[in-house]
Amino acid sequence: MITRRDLFKVAGVGAVALAVAPGAVKPSFGAPKKISIEDSLKEHLGVGLSALKESNLIHIKAPTIAESGANVPVQVKANIPVDQVQALYIFADANFNPWVTTVEFSPMNGEVFFATRIKLAKTSPVRAVIKMKDGSLLAAAKEVKVTVGGCG
Amino acid sequence: MHLTRRDFLELAIVTGAFMTANPVATLAKMTYDDIMSFKSVGNVTLLFTTDMHAHLDPLYFAEPMNLVAPKKLMGTPGYITGMEFLKFYKIAPGTLEAYFTSCVDFPKLAHKFGKMGGAAHITTIIKHVIAERGRDKVLVMDGGDTWTTTAIGTFTEGKSVVEWMNYTGYDLFVAHWDFTFGKETFLKRIEELEKGGCEFITHNVVDEMWGDLVFKPYTIKEVGGVKLGIIGSSFPFTPLANPRQFVEGWSFGIREDQLQQFVNELREQHKVDAVIFLTHNGFPLDQKIARVVQGIDVIISGHTHDVTPRAIKVGKTIVVIAGSHGKFVGRLDLDIKNGRIRDYRFKLYPVASNLVPADKGAQKIVDKWKKEVTKTHKLEEEIGVAEVMLYKRDTFFSTWDWLVGEAINDYYGGDLDVVTSPGYRWGTVVLPGQKITRDHVYDYTAITYPNVYVLKRTGKQLLEVWEDVADNVFNPDPFYQQGGDMSRLWNVEYEIEVNGPQYNRIRNVRIGGKPLKENKEYLMAVYGGPPPPEDAIHPDYKPVPVYDILIDYIKKKKNIKVRTKPNVKVLDAPYKTYEECFGT
Repeated sequence: MITRRDLFKVAGVGAVALAVAPGAVKPSFGAPKKISIEDSLKEHLGVGLSALKESNLIHIKAPTIAESGANVPVQVKANIPVDQVQALYIFADANFNPWVTTVEFSPMNGEVFFATRIKLAKTSPVRAVIKMKDGSLLAAAKEVKVTVGGCG
Repeated sequence: MHLTRRDFLELAIVTGAFMTANPVATLAKMTYDDIMSFKSVGNVTLLFTTDMHAHLDPLYFAEPMNLVAPKKLMGTPGYITGMEFLKFYKIAPGTLEAYFTSCVDFPKLAHKFGKMGGAAHITTIIKHVIAERGRDKVLVMDGGDTWTTTAIGTFTEGKSVVEWMNYTGYDLFVAHWDFTFGKETFLKRIEELEKGGCEFITHNVVDEMWGDLVFKPYTIKEVGGVKLGIIGSSFPFTPLANPRQFVEGWSFGIREDQLQQFVNELREQHKVDAVIFLTHNGFPLDQKIARVVQGIDVIISGHTHDVTPRAIKVGKTIVVIAGSHGKFVGRLDLDIKNGRIRDYRFKLYPVASNLVPADKGAQKIVDKWKKEVTKTHKLEEEIGVAEVMLYKRDTFFSTWDWLVGEAINDYYGGDLDVVTSPGYRWGTVVLPGQKITRDHVYDYTAITYPNVYVLKRTGKQLLEVWEDVADNVFNPDPFYQQGGDMSRLWNVEYEIEVNGPQYNRIRNVRIGGKPLKENKEYLMAVYGGPPPPEDAIHPDYKPVPVYDILIDYIKKKKNIKVRTKPNVKVLDAPYKTYEECFGT
């Protein structure tokens, strides 16, 4: 899924504040609680699901059925001029902590493109949310199925 | 339609000719022409087979009674069976074509029309068309699932089939089960094929780490004076449906974005006149591909074993699929000029083994390998008699799978609560009254990972796995289906709502007549899937190949009679029973 060229592109995002914490669980005392996608969105974006506007300018490339939930390649590309974009957020609803990463863009990036690998605890929508410089939010989602096996 | 009512009458007359002195010769002479009749069109002929499952010998194989589907897909091609299928494609019941394409009255028609398929018979059809059209106008393709799942395929590591393919003159190939010989053997066979002039093309297998293409994604062929771009797709979910170890380091998937790039590349850079997509994706999935990927002229589909007596048009794309088990050779004639398909004609040749003579050279190859495998596996040995029709294909239940459940439980001393059989769509049919041979058992079970494993599982764990499989079968989006049927659950009864929420379709599960308890531990046997982790295998029950268990059990029982009543109740879709299709 991720080509060598793509990987370099990602490396080129270098200067950007890049925090990849797939499926990370914060240590805490007592039984940790699953964070809902609603709460996670609110924490990172200040708004919930209903405030996100579906946009066909954002394209998520990910397998429909993951070959391994531990390592799911995800690419996000948006046909939006990069200088209008502030940041890209990726979420996986069903993960214990749905927030996957935040990538900030600068015009140096050339285009809105990001490729990574994420962990999926189970079947879940993978969401890409783009925060525009004017504060508006555009979003897209793709379901990725995590399966135990199947039928030939 | 290649067999009209008039043809059928002719056939009926011919069948009457069985009474005459030399019935077989009369039969063959009259009907071979009927089968082969085709008014050619244009400058290009695509010939194709798919999902032969290494059936080099003719066999009986009934189309399914049921292809239960979620509402969104119900009644669409790929989910129509029986009488509805005959009506949809306007085929008269009782004809040779009805016998080949639907389950209706299968045992009765089997006695009338005889066996189907057979590699040497396929060769005859392919050679016939090549002779008639000229080699430069014909492209011969196979859609995979070709080298394994019979004794002759599996125990020769696919060599037998590859030798036949090379003899017959195949040009292009994609794969699925063929990968289950493991990478090394697979690549060796591919090399042999390529020496014979057959190219393996697959765009959707990439290096897991770097994403580089592992195989040539497409090829460009000059056919009939025009340039064809042909892209290949192997089964997108191979590492999930079959043990991962066979394709370690390779990543599969549908990769529709990449496919679109290759289509564009062929059109814009290579200026091809037409784009053909040869796949092992599954018929419903390929119909969706035709909707979401622009610029494919023809999709030659495979994997789900569907039969399209007529071509299906999805937008501008022609989608066809040539059944399974060697029952059909597909032919699509195209009139292509200046990058445009101006006309086409399509037909599935039914490989009626009694009417299409065997090609002598091909038969020699088949016989040679059969002799070789018979030495070690006594293929012809009769081990019992079928008292009901033994079949495998259906959405939930089959007589064969119930027999497997009984046999495995018997082998492990009657200790088992559950036996799970995989929802493969391949196998064979043994007619009521027919002798069961060892070869029949291999036809249903000869895979490269045949072991039965006994495990302890809680009711909750069992249910989770079954729900997971159910979503692979009943997801309303074909991109999320794996193209098989539901696991067969011996000693289990349940109800299912196929349109129910994801992972919440199954209701009222009973194991051995008692309601499933989520916390209770059950002893279950499983085979044909990715192998369970070492430490999950119950130490008191040794893993054994499923075919060995079956051969012993059938020998012990002799007369094989199993229930024909399904153990599953479908709550929100029609579900036909044995009697409706196969009679009493």
